[in-house]
Amino acid sequence: MSNEIWVFAEQQEGKVRKVTFQLLSAGVEFSKKTNQPVGVVLLGNDLQEAVKSLTPFSDKIYLVDDPALVSYTSDAYLNHMAPLIKEHQPSVLLGGATSTGKDLFPRLAMHLQTGYAPDCTGLTIEENGKLVAKRPLYGGKVFAEIVFSEARPQMATVRNNTFLINENLKKSAEVISIPSHTDPAALKKKIVGLEKAAGTKLDITEAEMVVAAGRGIKAPENFKIMEDLADALNASVGTTRATVDEGWRDLKDQIGKSGKNISAKLYMAFGISGAIHHILGIGTCKTVVAVDTDPNALIFNYADYGIVGDLFQIVPALTEELKKASAEK
Amino acid sequence: MMEIYVLVKQVPDPEAMIKVKSDSELEIENKYFTNFFDEIAIETGLKLREKLGGKVTVLTVDNKRVDALRRGIAMSADDAIQITDPALEGSDQFAIARALAAYLKDKPFDLILAGRQAMDDDSGIVGPAVAELLGIPHVNTITSLEIDDPKKEVRVMREVEGGKEILSCPLPALFTCQKGLNNPRIPQVMNVMKAMKAQIKKVNLAALGLSAVDVGGQAVKIKVQKYLAPPKRPPVKMIKEDFPENVKALVKLLKEEAKVI
Repeated sequence: MSNEIWVFAEQQEGKVRKVTFQLLSAGVEFSKKTNQPVGVVLLGNDLQEAVKSLTPFSDKIYLVDDPALVSYTSDAYLNHMAPLIKEHQPSVLLGGATSTGKDLFPRLAMHLQTGYAPDCTGLTIEENGKLVAKRPLYGGKVFAEIVFSEARPQMATVRNNTFLINENLKKSAEVISIPSHTDPAALKKKIVGLEKAAGTKLDITEAEMVVAAGRGIKAPENFKIMEDLADALNASVGTTRATVDEGWRDLKDQIGKSGKNISAKLYMAFGISGAIHHILGIGTCKTVVAVDTDPNALIFNYADYGIVGDLFQIVPALTEELKKASAEK
Repeated sequence: MMEIYVLVKQVPDPEAMIKVKSDSELEIENKYFTNFFDEIAIETGLKLREKLGGKVTVLTVDNKRVDALRRGIAMSADDAIQITDPALEGSDQFAIARALAAYLKDKPFDLILAGRQAMDDDSGIVGPAVAELLGIPHVNTITSLEIDDPKKEVRVMREVEGGKEILSCPLPALFTCQKGLNNPRIPQVMNVMKAMKAQIKKVNLAALGLSAVDVGGQAVKIKVQKYLAPPKRPPVKMIKEDFPENVKALVKLLKEEAKVI
């Protein structure tokens, strides 16, 4: 059947990323309106667990299981995605606005001569299957509604936490196994190593809860109190450009224009004055809390809740209070 | 010796005021700078030239602004090319990529560099799309690049969620550059003056073997239906209690009002 709504599944070591389930949950909502089946494309190796986890979320799972696909490279993945799309002609193809999605989708769209809206923060669909993608421009100073030409599929990458996962879906997807045709010798790019980030915390773009400190924390070792707060909240720790430029924190944790945009459910900023570079990275967070000693700090203009206070006093107390609150649950 | 091309763009400064004027028009303060990530790309090219010899050419598609090219020359790029044509007006990123690839396809390039994304539409489309059109590998958002011999595989590192990936890749290839790769040089005043007077080579669509239907408004695959102001937050609620009551009040609000914990 043609004209399905597809989601490109992202997995790591056989575990499907949250953003895939978020997009499938949205896809299922869209399909009720457009009456199209929902398919998910899953590439990788050793994917039994992944298939199992995706089964309730889609009508079809297009599966390519091959050791050569264990890690993402654009050439190997494009070699499979492009023919599959040409054969089945989905009307929509969604993926996460992740390091993989942002690498694969633009190239794939050019290859297929179709439209692609990157890094979206909202999507809607019309009954006739036309997708409307909402995305920030100029770092979030304005937003645009993007529509697509007649070419299909309409492709979009979507930020983490834009959609909620619908845990109540009870589909039972049909698995369609696609024979792999990867010739490892023909692949130009090879992954020769992977340095895993220390710790088990989610990337700040994926985390539902993010706490951050800026230069106001005074010294790199003081981030310990932020780590403790993050543990109490199951959050990830972000930071500002200033501390990254000082070499206090890793670039991967930088929020803002030259770093990452986050869409957390709760974002708490401590000792961050609110430079426009930083503010632009938190525009799509649901609830924002700001704590700073300066009552005139710009960050308060962009927050839901504010406390004028000293982070060295507030953060440890907040950690204790949150521990108490979760113990009461 | 390496033949290096760097794709650059002049974009509104992050401090520039940008507002929605109407559904189909933005008001953009006239405050532009060379895309931050493109400067990193230029610096990457220049460092490789210092190490291995060769030539660095900066390349833009823009009918109005050539300041990014002048910035490249001031930083000491060898050559600057402006692809310009009235028919390019209204092009989307795919059409821009088509124009760039048409220029590059018969050039003897070893390496093409671009910024991670342009800080205006923040799309990150043009780099990978050019690589696709040229049939060469690309790697996005690299934070390190090691080239000892352009004839051999090169090594790049890129950030992924939860770690860093190290890839090997043959040249020619296209890489998009991420913060962390280097600190772009600040050109000397003398070089800035020289760049102001430098000859910029102009190339039009006919010279690229493209026609108006390949680019511009007729070729668009995506278009803006409507500009929107950013979603506004309600006014901030300041928690005025003294410490430690303010912390307790915050937790209560997060739990009962915002319902996020």
